[in-house]
Amino acid sequence: MSKTLPIQRRLRRPGGRSFPGRKAFVLSFIFLWLGFAFAANAQTQKVTGRVVDSKGDPVPGVTVKVQNTTRVSTTDAEGRYSIDVPDLQTTLVFSSIGYTEQRQALGGQTALNITLQDDQQALDDVVVVGYGTQLKKDLTGAVSVVKAQDVKKRQATTVAESLQGLASGIKVRGGGQPGSEAQIQIRGLKNLSGTNPLYVIDGLVSNANRDFNPADIESIQILKDASAAAIYGSRAANGVIIITTRKGKEGPLMVEFTGRSSIQTMPRYELAGTEEFSRINFMAYDNANVPRQNLDLGVNTDWQDVAFRTGNVQDYNMSFSGGSSTGNYLVSGGYFGNKGTVISTGFDRLSFRVNTQGKKGIFTIGENFSVTNSKSDEMSGNPIIDVIRMLPTIPVYNAANPGGYGYGDEKRGRTFGTNPLAIANLEDRSNENLRLRGNLFGELQILKSLKYRLNLGYETSRDHYKYLKKDGFWTLNQAFDPAIANENRAESETKLIENTLTFTKQFGKHSLNVIAGQSYQQDTYAQIWGTKRNLLPNPSGGYYDVLDQGNEGLTGGFRNRTDIISYFGRAEYNYADKYLINGIIRRDGVSRFGPEYKFGNFPSLSAAWRISNEEFYKVKWMNDLKLRASYGTLGSSNIGPYDYIALINTFSTIALGQGQGAQQGATQVKLANRDLRWEELVQQNYGFDAAFLNNKLTVSAEYFIAKTKDVLLEYPLLLSTGNDGGNPRVNGVTLGNRGFELTAGYANNDKPFKYNVTANVTTLRNKVLDLGYNKNKTYVGNTVTEVGQPIGMWYVLQTDGLFQNQAEIDNYRNANGTVIQPSAKPGDIRYKDNNGDGQITNSDKIVVGSPWPKYEVGLNIGLSYKNFEFSMDWFGSFGSTVFNGPRSVIERFDDNSNYPAGVQPWTPQNPNTSTPRAYYASTLNSRGDTDRWLESGSFARMKYVALSYNLPADFVKKAGFSRAQISISGQNLITLTKYTGLDPEFSNGSIFEKGYDFGAYPNLRTVSVGLQFGF
Amino acid sequence: MKKIFLSIFFAGLLGVMTGCKKDLLNQDNPNTLTTEQFWKTESDAQKGVNAIYHMFYQNGGFNRWMYFRLDLASDEGFSKSPWVELADWTRFQYINYNFWEGNVNSYRDVYKAIFRCNQVLENVPGIEFDQGRKTQMIAQAKFLRGLYYYYAAILWENFPIVTVTQRPEDMPRQSSLAEVWALVEKDLTEASAGLPEQWTGNDLGRATKGAAQAMLAKALMQQKKWAQAKTALDYLVTGAGQNYYDLVDFKDNFRADNENNKESVFEIQFSDANKTGEGDGPNSNMGSNRSQFFAPRDIGWSDGQARFWLVDEFKKEKTTDNQIDPRLQYSLFYPGSEADFGVKTYGRSWTWGADEAWFKKYSRDYMRSNEDYFNQINNRMIRYADVLLMYAEVQNELGQTADAYTYVNRVRARSKMAPLAAAYPAIGNNQTLFRERLKTERALELCGESVRWADLKRWGDLDTQAGVNKVAERDPDFRNFVVGKSIRLPLPQIEVENNTNLRQNPGY
Repeated sequence: MSKTLPIQRRLRRPGGRSFPGRKAFVLSFIFLWLGFAFAANAQTQKVTGRVVDSKGDPVPGVTVKVQNTTRVSTTDAEGRYSIDVPDLQTTLVFSSIGYTEQRQALGGQTALNITLQDDQQALDDVVVVGYGTQLKKDLTGAVSVVKAQDVKKRQATTVAESLQGLASGIKVRGGGQPGSEAQIQIRGLKNLSGTNPLYVIDGLVSNANRDFNPADIESIQILKDASAAAIYGSRAANGVIIITTRKGKEGPLMVEFTGRSSIQTMPRYELAGTEEFSRINFMAYDNANVPRQNLDLGVNTDWQDVAFRTGNVQDYNMSFSGGSSTGNYLVSGGYFGNKGTVISTGFDRLSFRVNTQGKKGIFTIGENFSVTNSKSDEMSGNPIIDVIRMLPTIPVYNAANPGGYGYGDEKRGRTFGTNPLAIANLEDRSNENLRLRGNLFGELQILKSLKYRLNLGYETSRDHYKYLKKDGFWTLNQAFDPAIANENRAESETKLIENTLTFTKQFGKHSLNVIAGQSYQQDTYAQIWGTKRNLLPNPSGGYYDVLDQGNEGLTGGFRNRTDIISYFGRAEYNYADKYLINGIIRRDGVSRFGPEYKFGNFPSLSAAWRISNEEFYKVKWMNDLKLRASYGTLGSSNIGPYDYIALINTFSTIALGQGQGAQQGATQVKLANRDLRWEELVQQNYGFDAAFLNNKLTVSAEYFIAKTKDVLLEYPLLLSTGNDGGNPRVNGVTLGNRGFELTAGYANNDKPFKYNVTANVTTLRNKVLDLGYNKNKTYVGNTVTEVGQPIGMWYVLQTDGLFQNQAEIDNYRNANGTVIQPSAKPGDIRYKDNNGDGQITNSDKIVVGSPWPKYEVGLNIGLSYKNFEFSMDWFGSFGSTVFNGPRSVIERFDDNSNYPAGVQPWTPQNPNTSTPRAYYASTLNSRGDTDRWLESGSFARMKYVALSYNLPADFVKKAGFSRAQISISGQNLITLTKYTGLDPEFSNGSIFEKGYDFGAYPNLRTVSVGLQFGF
Repeated sequence: MKKIFLSIFFAGLLGVMTGCKKDLLNQDNPNTLTTEQFWKTESDAQKGVNAIYHMFYQNGGFNRWMYFRLDLASDEGFSKSPWVELADWTRFQYINYNFWEGNVNSYRDVYKAIFRCNQVLENVPGIEFDQGRKTQMIAQAKFLRGLYYYYAAILWENFPIVTVTQRPEDMPRQSSLAEVWALVEKDLTEASAGLPEQWTGNDLGRATKGAAQAMLAKALMQQKKWAQAKTALDYLVTGAGQNYYDLVDFKDNFRADNENNKESVFEIQFSDANKTGEGDGPNSNMGSNRSQFFAPRDIGWSDGQARFWLVDEFKKEKTTDNQIDPRLQYSLFYPGSEADFGVKTYGRSWTWGADEAWFKKYSRDYMRSNEDYFNQINNRMIRYADVLLMYAEVQNELGQTADAYTYVNRVRARSKMAPLAAAYPAIGNNQTLFRERLKTERALELCGESVRWADLKRWGDLDTQAGVNKVAERDPDFRNFVVGKSIRLPLPQIEVENNTNLRQNPGY
């Protein structure tokens, strides 16, 4: 039986997450160690051969194993192996990462050549689905599998950043800034309290933040629908990303090195120089009848040159791994260094990992453990905005100013922009943390069909934030502050205890897999901070910045704790590989809710029908066809640990009495909702998987309907409540999401020229079904969120061109003949009087656009010919309307900033322009709440392009390696968009203002050279 | 072997199962008190009251933005701030009604203060402790609630009344100005009944009966309830409270020395002990930002400055010993101060415009050469000179013009100004002429002390276009003033949109 079912290469690298989900695996496990017992004292004979891939190239490092024994060999750089076998009737097993495992009976031969197939379209992949695995072909829910090598090939600080475009239904924004973490959204905005999914790393609920080295990834699975994610019920509403780290594999020590060096550049604004700036600035002052500034026309500073630079990334990883049939090990170390594209920013990460596993009899024990130290030199101010707020006529240095830097001046150049060099040098911020993350697990095969597993997880991070402000000014009218030091130290801990029992049994054509488990998790966080002013200068430069020095010291601190208790179970039933049913129930209790609301139940049910296994199925060109449907409930308690408790703020003091001694005050500042309860996501998913033309073409499609009830959000309260300190959480909103995802891939590996193309399309529509506190609408910034509509629609005044002359102004009247903008002058903006009342007020605002893309597309292309490989990933997002915040600064004229190069403000001589007249007096033309600043956010971008070359085997061998590859790649090199800001792929943390580009750190253009070798 | 493993596992399993009790899910906040634990003792009550006073230190109120509304919007002050929107909000050019610094911050902080008052008024009566002290605490909460509603009435007029602590979903209904005034009167009357006449020791600086009476009089005068206003003021001027109050050396009203002196009826107790940001965090600032925002360019932000007509007005009348009105040197920074009084500006000779002036009261020019966010000089919100001039105004309005002279003269005499009848014999008992002169007297005595906006409203100077035009001669910003509209601020648009019971103020 085990011969007819394809056995997975992962089988003998049974890491934390890959214990078997099906009977076949369990039996294989048993065979393996039974084999161990019988293998002793046999006669041996030598078998040799060569292993090549489908291109005919040698495959080095392939594990060759005699079935049911511990005898193992590996192929050399030429793909050759030699192994001793007990007899010539035995079977050899060939396995290597990236290839489908192959077994071949010797049948009396002493020479055996093997061709391994790439495993990329293998339907038999094992997928980690939480507390177990499933064969990919047996999935009933929506699960995306992202290949680790696709993630690793991109230069990114975090995993999330490198997932863009690699799977349908995944939206990623952000990154760029050294050490920053990207936002990732799975299947749209399902709640309003942060969209990041749950990360499960080697079974530990964690976060694949910047402390996690993407080089350690073995596989990534993304659980997208309720049935897939329900086993993580309580925290799975935003989807689950399961990461399994690499394990050693059977065979002698293998050393692998990958190194990559990249340079990064910022996209830039095109801004005016002194000549153009001063001409328009004088015009704006003249138009307003304000005396011109005495601009320093002898200066022409390019502030982008001052603030931005070419960044670079150094990313080196080395791993040592190996193992036997009873154990394996992997030791890896990595260094990631990023010099930021903004001056005085950077990020460094050192990481170290040990994954081991051992087995004796029915007992298996293993651990995954990593240590990471990360340090970022953080950005001060916002240089993305400062470079446009600073005027070209201001010099970088000015000895007359305290600190010696140039900045705005009342008479010579009035701007409140910050000199980016000054703030970078006068403020130092660093954030360093040491993270230990790991788990220890033991498994006991109690019966053939029953396995018990204990998993103990632990994670801790020790954080250290440092801030130093030196003497000196960086902006006009800066309040005087002395030298200040602030330090902040924190520790977080997660402890996890998990018990699971797995029952697997096959009765004829029926197969059953049941998991029952229980887990307890405790999260704690504590922080202390201290600050001092008037630091002691160090005569040899700088300051004594320890908190012993200085005066006016302040301290503070706080602690948090959350406890979660869960019970869960899953039953999978499979009849003859045709009918698949999967039921899950999870019950979670969390300390974050009040006594009556702690527990929630999250069931799900899914089913699939593999039509292609039916006897009546005779379609030759379609190799595989499976229909799937699921229905399930997920929960979220993504709130603070004590949000349901109304608290007293005891911090206020007042000065009283003749000596004005401080007296204590205490009062409630922030309101609380006592009845907070679980947010619930109910999701239906319908999909099919099909393979055509000998598995060359694969297609998967999903349609889902999701509804989130009792969404936990910080709903904006009325000012009249007197609430402050943030809006309290409330189970306020019901959201609906509907979406369609399609993934299609075509691969042709038959000829020397091989290629594969994968495309995915996601469409998504979110709709507010119900709003908090029984309201119909809520307004935040320039957006309105209305029942029946998507969240955060643009709600602004409509512009209607410019007034060309006084007659147009006089004739612009409403139905009653009232002149609508009587004080306008030619060159001013004409606003639409939508309510017809004869004046322009807030009640003329209407909904003019949606910040949500209509569809998003990913396209991945791979080509290879002999030793060359080429790959390219594109991502496109279409149909959104976004607010260009930086443009609303540089084109306003009423307040001094630099202007865009080539800007054409209206003048009587130059009336053919859409830019109103330059006018340094009133915000009428530059007001932020109009459609003047809205633009199409559509874009298509080449996220990644790479060419790699595998060094010829004989050359490599001479150098002492078993294989070597060099590559050159680029990221974000081509962007097609009409958006005039720096980057259409920006992120904004505010749920209601997703489409507002406030001057976000742009995605960087990156060019990398990589080297990879192993021996 | 197997047995050993088995027993270890099952022992572990059992331990985990039993250790995993549900009471682990009951985690108390280890960081601070809950509302349920609070409001149990006299100390809690006192802290609750103190927290209301703390609202004086927050940006939306008398720490910062309130002076933009009360001083700069009036004809005494204006803004040349390069931050155009900030300046627009001092000259009736309200475009974005959600402008935080101009509108929303102050509106929100008034409600924050009211929330604190309402907490005391709901919770303190039920706490068992000395009835006398309890009455005083409740009375302070009423005084402060009345004070905040007074300013809400002055600024927004139709300000939704909230007298109970709000649940997150509550949407108060629209209130009329008359309803707001009624609440102010009720709160201050009740406060007056419960407040002591004086505080001593470490309580010095809390609201007194006199403060409540004066505040009540202000509210009544805005409604032209002159007779009632006179009754309210009687306590301070001719009644039981008169001996507590007197005029002191003029400059002692604006400096950190001699705070809480006899002229002080109610003052905000500022301190520079905490040099941090404002708000509700630990060690938050207890000082005022005003002087940082109002100091001349290169010293402070210069977001607000004084209209020059004030300088001219000071110079129109000399003292009895033929000197320049001595109040000028303590009221304004102006080009001639070095020539007139030998006084420099923050230690500098005049380098600013020849037609420019800045407010000097509460500045620290006399003790340092720059400003910061932590000004410790108490703000004399109500001082006795103001009370005397109010008393005179009330008497004049009641037709007792002859009696009113006494009180104006008392204020003038301190600054060596001749009695009013001697200086301006033409006024006589003409109510209108007296009223007009009183307007100037108030400006000379009280300019820059945040009373002018209420004065202009009360005098009706902004009710007609003719009146506005006259004001605009002193302050051209009033050319933007629209009669019937600009007299009150727009309600924050966000509040009008999110509270379906509200209508925006007329004209906005």
